[in-house]
Amino acid sequence: MLRVIAIEFKRGLLNLRRYPLEMVGQLVVITLIFYGLFLGARYIAGPAAQFGGRLDALVVGYVLWTLSLFAIGDLSWGLMNEAREGTLEQVFLSPYGPARVYLARNAASLLIMLGFNLVILFVLLFLTGAHLHFAGAAVWPLAAALLGAYGVGFMLGALALYFKRIQAFLNLFQFVMMFLVMTPFERLEGLGRLAGMLLPITPGAGMLRGLLARGEPFDMHLFALALANGLVYLLVGLWVFTYAVRLTKERGLLGGY
Amino acid sequence: MAVLRAENLHKTFRSRGRVVQAVSGVSLRVERGEVLAFLGPNGAGKTTTIKMVAGLVRPDRGLVRIEERDPHRDPWTLRRLGAVLEGNRNVYWRLTPLENLEYFGVLRGLTAGAARRRGELLLRRFDLDHKKNALTQQLSRGMQQKLAIAVSLVHEPALLLLDEPTLGLDVEAAETVKQIVRELAAEGQAIVLTTHHLDVAQQLSDRVAIIREGRIVAKDRTKTLLARFSGEQYEIEVAAELDEPRRRRVAGLGAEVADGHVVYVGDPEGLWQVLEVLRPLPILRVEKDRADLTEVFLKLVREEADA
Repeated sequence: MLRVIAIEFKRGLLNLRRYPLEMVGQLVVITLIFYGLFLGARYIAGPAAQFGGRLDALVVGYVLWTLSLFAIGDLSWGLMNEAREGTLEQVFLSPYGPARVYLARNAASLLIMLGFNLVILFVLLFLTGAHLHFAGAAVWPLAAALLGAYGVGFMLGALALYFKRIQAFLNLFQFVMMFLVMTPFERLEGLGRLAGMLLPITPGAGMLRGLLARGEPFDMHLFALALANGLVYLLVGLWVFTYAVRLTKERGLLGGY
Repeated sequence: MAVLRAENLHKTFRSRGRVVQAVSGVSLRVERGEVLAFLGPNGAGKTTTIKMVAGLVRPDRGLVRIEERDPHRDPWTLRRLGAVLEGNRNVYWRLTPLENLEYFGVLRGLTAGAARRRGELLLRRFDLDHKKNALTQQLSRGMQQKLAIAVSLVHEPALLLLDEPTLGLDVEAAETVKQIVRELAAEGQAIVLTTHHLDVAQQLSDRVAIIREGRIVAKDRTKTLLARFSGEQYEIEVAAELDEPRRRRVAGLGAEVADGHVVYVGDPEGLWQVLEVLRPLPILRVEKDRADLTEVFLKLVREEADA
């Protein structure tokens, strides 16, 4: 499996290198956003502004927001492109099976995106002389939230595999994401609080808000909940995707677009 | 042990309230080193059958075994299968040929190093090594098709499925692909070939299966099938004019003489009698009328349609 992640990583990097304008465009956008955050333009962080006014909180919040968006849409866009271009079935001929191949592809893409963000961040820190006081503990709820985001990504991937054209739905889903990342469920009572525990991404995002915006200490129980939520969504997402693969094969819809 | 054993495959699709029986009771068998030409008109069920063999479409009924393993239950069976699918790019156009070979090699279970080494070998063999670092999208259609075949072979599969491998290729590229298929079969590769180019099928195949409306209407060795559909007509070309007594004797045996040719319709015993009459005239050519696969195909497909 590691070798599949490694080759997907290589493929991802090669694709970036082949279309340098695309890569430069991405670099410029990420640089401008981080630079804007450094200059105090909170609005530029979008939903990340909910994570507190401090620069480190804004940066972590922004990373969660962009990576979650990426995690949710990347697989579906990839599947739609591959179905259109006619490489999808070759990927499905892998003995590793599509779920594992796309899991590896997701992991590789996440590494590349994370690498992009970190490199730009460190270059800007160096150039501007700014300092970030990262609560290292913030990495854990971030990871838990991303697990859930990938779970949802696999569910949307299942739809993309079966229906092939779900672009409009994916665009609409950004607002669902905004709701999940921005709503402070952890501050609500009763059903709202319960929803915060059960919905995808929300426990991790809530814990991040607690750590960064409200300066709460790292709560092991809360983290266990966020992690369990993320893992359950990932497993359910993988199950739904595998079911969609089976259904698509039964109905002969794999190769069409 | 057969490399491919597909038995009694059935597949029904439902589309907009209509039920379409795409494949009905199809059985195929391919041995090592054998090329099976799987032929049929558009929409006859060829591609559905090929995809059921490749594990990409799940059959409603029937079984598929590749070296006695089931690709629908055991995914590692796919390690023994390579496929070039019609209507697909099959390879990534943003990658170079060598990168494609390495990528798909790893996806089929090889290590990156082994995939690269095997890829280099295949690129040399398919005369693509000078293009190994060019982007695939910049290659000619023929080169892209050769690359797709190379990629399908990178993990050394036992069974190769080639769905319309010469479609859209110019004469030279098609000849190269044909040569590759011949060489692979000679090396022991089991190949299922679907094509609308019946001359290609005739030249390459050891056995033929013809499918129409989801059912197999003929399945036999290519030579046997051609012989069955060939007439009992012989044409004899003689270097000299036939004198009148010979003409009469030849006519007496049921043969006709025209433009230096003697045409005889009958069994081989009668042919020897005609040749005896012609002795000692110099004979340039004796040829039996042979049906080609196009005639056989059209006849079978039309017969079934009329039935």
